[in-house]
Formats: sequence, structure tokens, C-alpha cells
Amino acid sequence: MFDWLMWFTRMDNSKPLALVLFFGAFCGVLIYVFADKRRAQRLESYKNIPFDDDEPCRLDASPVERHPQSRKVNGQ
Amino acid sequence: MAQSSALPAEQYNYSIVRRFTIMAMIWAVLGMSVGVYIASELAWPFLNFDIPQLTFGRLRPTHTTMVIFGFGGSALFATSYYIVQRTSQARLAFPWLAEFTFWGWTGGVALGVLTYVLGITQGREYAEFEWPLDIAITLVWVSYFVVYVETLRRRTQPHIYVANWFYLAFILAVALLHIFNNLAVPVSLTKSYSLFAGVQDAMTQWWYGHNAVGFFLTAAFLGMMYYFVPKQAGRPVYSYRLSIIHFWALIFLYMWAGGHHLHWTSLPDWVSTLAATFSVILLMPSWGGMINGIMTLSGAWDKLRSDPVMLFLITSLSFYGMSTFEGPLMSLKSVNALSHYTDWTVGHVHSGALGWVALVSFGSFYHLIPRLWDSKMYSQTLIYVHFWLATIGIVLYITSMWVAGIGQGLMLRSFDDYGNLAYTFIETVEFMHTPYVWRALGGAFFVAGVLVMVYNMAMTIARRQPAAETQLSAKPAQA
Amino acid sequence: MRHEQIETNSGLMLLLILVVISIGGLVEIVPLFYINETVEDVKGAVRPYTPLELRGRDIYIREGCYLCHSQQIRPFRDEWLRYGHYSLAAESQYDHPFQWGSKRTGPDLARVGGKYSNQWQVQHLNAPRSVVPQSIMPNYPWLLQTDLDYSDIVGRMRALRWTGVPYSVTQAEYDRNVKTFGKATADLLDINQAQDTLLKQARDREFDGNPARITEMDALVAYLQVLGTMVDFTQYDEGYFARFR
Repeated sequence: MFDWLMWFTRMDNSKPLALVLFFGAFCGVLIYVFADKRRAQRLESYKNIPFDDDEPCRLDASPVERHPQSRKVNGQ
Repeated sequence: MAQSSALPAEQYNYSIVRRFTIMAMIWAVLGMSVGVYIASELAWPFLNFDIPQLTFGRLRPTHTTMVIFGFGGSALFATSYYIVQRTSQARLAFPWLAEFTFWGWTGGVALGVLTYVLGITQGREYAEFEWPLDIAITLVWVSYFVVYVETLRRRTQPHIYVANWFYLAFILAVALLHIFNNLAVPVSLTKSYSLFAGVQDAMTQWWYGHNAVGFFLTAAFLGMMYYFVPKQAGRPVYSYRLSIIHFWALIFLYMWAGGHHLHWTSLPDWVSTLAATFSVILLMPSWGGMINGIMTLSGAWDKLRSDPVMLFLITSLSFYGMSTFEGPLMSLKSVNALSHYTDWTVGHVHSGALGWVALVSFGSFYHLIPRLWDSKMYSQTLIYVHFWLATIGIVLYITSMWVAGIGQGLMLRSFDDYGNLAYTFIETVEFMHTPYVWRALGGAFFVAGVLVMVYNMAMTIARRQPAAETQLSAKPAQA
Repeated sequence: MRHEQIETNSGLMLLLILVVISIGGLVEIVPLFYINETVEDVKGAVRPYTPLELRGRDIYIREGCYLCHSQQIRPFRDEWLRYGHYSLAAESQYDHPFQWGSKRTGPDLARVGGKYSNQWQVQHLNAPRSVVPQSIMPNYPWLLQTDLDYSDIVGRMRALRWTGVPYSVTQAEYDRNVKTFGKATADLLDINQAQDTLLKQARDREFDGNPARITEMDALVAYLQVLGTMVDFTQYDEGYFARFR
């Protein structure tokens, strides 16, 4: 019944196993990054970070004010 | 608030960035001039002058160290200290420790170069420093890590900008590589023997050698790209999500590829096959990064016509794309059988080092210099002159190396009608003379461009207006 | 784990980067130390360098010879004809550091030992273009003019012994070497007589043609002349080495 578990103990099978694991992780990252629309918006908002410091007058504003999208992170 | 009206020059620690920038240019002039000199030695061997300290074997590590660690390293220190402050909107942590990284790094490279000339070397490519210097450099690196991470921790906003991820991976990976590749048993202050031998030593060394390229000369400079390309273009990076995927894929895949430097050697076949496979897959994140950088300019392509700095940055990305295509190609065992041990490899390295690393650094510096010294660049025309000198130099360099490398590879493996070797080794050396002359010329073009930049930079600093009133009016315009 | 936790927490990000960059190196390097198929068994044919050869090797490294000469013959027909049998892992098992090289501005040297006479080597190192007119190698005249410094030979051999090279200090180690390499070779590898062994080899073989003086040339030529000569390939059939590739 649990004989299939033995498959994992054989060294020869480490290559396909590693392939599945790494590829799975890669797909996981892809899905995480591209699947959810709100998350996508939040992530894309970060690309403006290099331009934040062009307005020194807003430095006193709190991070959340400068980055409305990151509110979610703080709110947790 | 007092802070709100503070000028960037006061808000951030720019003095350390300025010093590393100047030092990077000094190393560039020195290291690349030595490069031209040793290239000439290969074309005209009398230039060795029977002086031990001037022979190719001792000057070659001098060239690679001054260019990679001197120029490249200082450029990375300068830009990473700038970027981490500006994207964290926090002043650099532990200024005295940052100061130590400057003197430690500069002194370490200078001393190292001096010891090579005297014949003190570990005999490991790109890791020739003997053990006392290795320890000193480790200390500098740990300080760098502490300064960088602590500055990040003081950031005023939750998200860490992607450029910093690349610098972080670079700092960590280089620490790891440096420590494991330099494990050695000392005999005296100036001599040691590596802990590992033969196959194991070869694999460790090329795990180091390849990832020195992967993390020092690629990942870190991608961090530079992810900040300066958007800033110079005045528009955010093409896709932030692509940069996330690009980052994790790149740092994961690079570490597997080192074995392709040892194809067909005594290294077991499974390692080099694995390494070749990963080298080919590596093409994807590499091109992901290139596309992300170039597409940042989509919709504003006219900037290429009006902005010479943009020209530097985009050309560097093109060379990055080209050499990351050439690399996987050369990692295929069948191609490698021809290309390995020849000048094709040397040409490939330089299309990456001159085309990508140096051009992206120059582009970033042209963006930085006016901000660091609060003044406009002395001459826009000279930036164009530099660009064309550099581009012509690179093209001469890599085409001559293709000719020399592929030519020699083909000659060495050709047979006559009776199945005997068609050429002796020395006949291939004779054949390579002409490409070697062209290569030296290409290098000279490139150095000439660097000298133009140094002049432009010196004049910018010398002629700048005494701060105060110009600063305030100039600031919005620069944004 | 949520990616935004990684993005916002520098410590977590550092840890994750460290894990991701470690995998590749671990998978490819660590097995090389354990898999016994990595290094061929050549039954004690490959011995560590004698004191004089070792000093020659140090000079080889000092002058940066590895930057233009490889020591690694690949299993191709042209390299077989030009240089000889492809290199075995066993042949560099005592090389700290390895000197396989990455560029052949000059020819491969893995089996240069015995290919030319001592006289030729000395003349060639002294003035390469006097024997090969088209050569682009630098002249190395100082090798003949500089006395060999062998004062720290014991320290050098002790350091190598520490890394696992079978040089002997104790009687037990000496006996082990006699068993593996035979008595004559075991004597050469004995650290206690290192200086005498070095002087004897230099005087007897007259590498630089002048027995009165022991120069750096003696040591370097001694090293070059032993390269690739230790394994007798007539003893093995090809299938044997192919198993380790």
C-alpha cells in the first residue's frame, strides 16, 4: 500500500524528484506574481520607489501615505 | 520640518560615494592600460623586456584584479551605497565602517596587485591574493555587509526595492565563494597551498570563477541597471514582476553552471553535463533582465537620440544580451571542444566585461557625477566621443578574438589526407599575430574613451559652481 | 510564506537568498569528495612531487605559467596526436592547487615530461625564440641566475602533508609510503631528509647543466620533466579509464 513511498528512497530518482520540486517552486513563484490582480497592482507600484526621493518635501510623510498600496502590508 | 527641506547632499552620505567613484575611474585607467600592455606583449613579445615584474604571467592577474575588483568593485561600492540610501531614504549606517570599507578595499587591491608583480600568488585565476590579503578582504566584506544591511533596516518604507535584492545576493554570494575557494594551508606570510587538490580543487575554483562572473559582474551590475536605467529614462522599470522572477531564477541557476569551464577534463561527465544544461536554461532569466531593462525605454525611444547617457545604458544591455547568448552557446560540449583554451573565451569575457560591465558603469557614473558634485557635466559632446571610442574598441576587440579563437580551434583539429595533424601548434601562434595586433588596438580605443571620460569628469568637478543658490534651482530640473 | 514578508524583511530575504544560492554548489561539489569513481585507481603509480620538483612547481606558479599553458589533455584525436593520452584525475590528485589552466596561448604541458632534453628546456626557458623563432613566450633569463631558495622546503612539505599529501614524518608514515610507492620513492617523500634529497636530485640530474650551482632553473626543469610521466599507460586497456569519466 505504501510501497510507492520507496520510490523516493532510491538515489536514481533524485533527479526527476529535484526537477519536479524546483520546477514546482518556479511555477509557484510565477502564479504568485502574475495570478492575482490586486497583488500585481501592488507589486507594480513598487517600481516607482526610485522616484520617491525626487520630492524631498514629502519625506516627512509616513511611508503609508507615500505608498498607498503598501497599506495592506502594514495593516496586517 | 527641518528634514523636509534638506538637500540630498546633506541628507545622504555622498562623500563615500564620491570617493569610490573617483577610485573606480583611477582603477579603470590603470587596469585597462595594463590590459593594453599585456595584449601588446602577446603581439610583440620583446615588450616583456626580460624584466620579471613585467612579464605576461605576472601582469595578467594584475590586469584582471585591477579591472574586476578595483574598477568593478569600486563602482559597485559607489552605486550600492548611493542606491541603498536613495531607495531607503535613509542615511548610510555606521559612516566610520563605510569609511573602513573604502580604505580596506582600495588598500587591499593595491597591495594585492603589488604582490602579484613580485610573484606572490595562489595560482588560482581571479583569486590570486595570498591568504593574509584574503583574510583582510573578508573583514572588509563583512563590514560592507553590515553597513548595507543596517542601512536597509533603517529604511523609511516597507518594501525593499529590487535593485537592493541584487546587491544583497551579490554580497552574500561573494562572501560564500571567497571563503570556500580560498581555504588554504599557509607556509609563510607569502605562500600557502590550497586545501583541496586536483579535481575537487578545479571544481571549487570554477564554481568560484564562474559565480564571480555571475554575482560580482552580473547580479550586482543588474542592481545598478535596475536603478539607473529607470532614473535616467525618467520612467519606471518595464515590469516589476518580471524583475522578481528574473532575480530568483538568476541567482538559483547561476550557481549550477560553473562546471562548464571544465568540459572534457578529468571532471566526471555528469557534473559538466549538469552544468551545461543549467547554462542553457540560464539564458532565459538573463534575457528576461535584458528585456526588462531595454523595454523600460519603450515609448521613449527618442531619448536614445538626445541622451548620450541613455546610449551607454542601452548599449550595455545589448552587449549583456549578446554575451549571455554567446555564453550558453559556448557551454555546449561540442562548441566548447573547439572554443575552450582559445581566444574565443577571452573575446567572450571582454564582450561581457567591456560591453556590459564597463558601459553600464560609465552610464551610471554619467548619471551620478552631476548629482554627486551638484553640477552639470562639463561636456555632452565628450560623452558622445567616449561612447563611440568605447564601442569601436569593443567591436575591434571581440571580432579579432573570434578570428583568433575560432581560427586556432579549427587549425588545431584539422588533419591532412593521411590523417596526420595539418598544423603544428606554433603555426597557430603565427596565425594569431594579426588578430592580436587588432585586439591591442581595440583595447587602446577603449582606454582612450576612458581617458576622455576622466577629463570630462575632472573638468566637471573643477568648474562646478559654489553650491547654494544654483542647487535649489537646479534640483527640480534634474528630476 | 508570503512573498511580501520576504520583500519587507531583510533578514528573511537574506536567509532565502543564501538557501537558493547554496543548492547548486552543494549538489555539484560535495559528491566529488565522496564518489570513489572520481579518481582512478592507478595502484600507486602517481606519487607526490619530490622536494626539488615541488620547488619547481612553486616557481611555475610564481611566474604565472598557468595563464598561458594548460595541463589537461582532452579525449580528442588531435590532442591525442599532439600531446598524448588524455589526462586522468589521478594524475593531479596531489596538485595543490590544480594547474589545469584555462587558456592555451602556448601548448598543453600535461605530458611535456621527457618530450625534450634538459638542455632544450633550459635553452627554451632562457630564450624561447632561439629555439622556436615564432614563439611569443617571454624570456626567463633570471631562472639560471637565481640560486634556488630551499631553506623552507620542510615547511612547504609539512603544509602539504597537512592537506593529505603522503609526505612522511613518522616511521609509520614512512612504512606506509614504502608499501604504496616502494622504498626508493618513499625516501624521496621523507620530510626528515628533504634538503638532502633536494640537493642530491639537483646534483645528480644536472637539470641546468651546471652541477656546481643549484638554481631556480634546476627546480623548474625538474618539475617540467616529471609532468605526465608517472602513469604507464601500456599497463591498462582503454576501457578501464573510461569507467571513471
